Amino acid sequence: MAAVAAIYDQLKYLNTEVLAISTDSVYSHKVFTEVSPSASKVQFPLLSDRTHQISKAYRVLNEKTGATFRATIIVDPEGTIVSKLVYPLEVGRNVYEILRLLQALQYSRKTGEGVPANWMSNQPGIVRDPKFIGRI
Amino acid sequence: MKSKGTKDGLEEYTQPYCAQTTDSAPLFSAEAYENVEQKITKINLEDYRGKWVILFFYASDFTFV
Repeated sequence: MAAVAAIYDQLKYLNTEVLAISTDSVYSHKVFTEVSPSASKVQFPLLSDRTHQISKAYRVLNEKTGATFRATIIVDPEGTIVSKLVYPLEVGRNVYEILRLLQALQYSRKTGEGVPANWMSNQPGIVRDPKFIGRI
Repeated sequence: MKSKGTKDGLEEYTQPYCAQTTDSAPLFSAEAYENVEQKITKINLEDYRGKWVILFFYASDFTFV
């Protein structure tokens, strides 16, 4: 959570909003921001999915615990899911991968180029030209 | 007549909805706590059209990782 708060300015720059969602109540969310040093820094809303309807709809509810899986879903400006990452129960996510995905998605839409493995934002994409097929 | 298990019947094996890449994001509204303004608000996903949105699902407010 604090890791996302730390890249929040960069996300804003990428026209991106964060909605954090758990099955806790908004009252729990409030106290969480008051007592947890990491949560006190969050600039984005903490949504309550008490009824599990949202996490069920997105297929990220852990029915054994009633909590959601550690999932990061990116929705594009038209309302389509463009990425869905579900992490292990015991491992935190890599927020730089979230940044990279957003940069890559936006780069690809702007240029029409493909984006290769391990691409970083200072690198070129791949021009979709049939003459390159089998040569990369 | 087409039947399941034949080449012509393959289109009947549709996958269940999995909220996967290329699917429409299910619309929802939910109560939220806004830390900056310190107030409880209502969030509608539909209001975020025109922006990229990260749905950041996390297990629990009070946890170790």
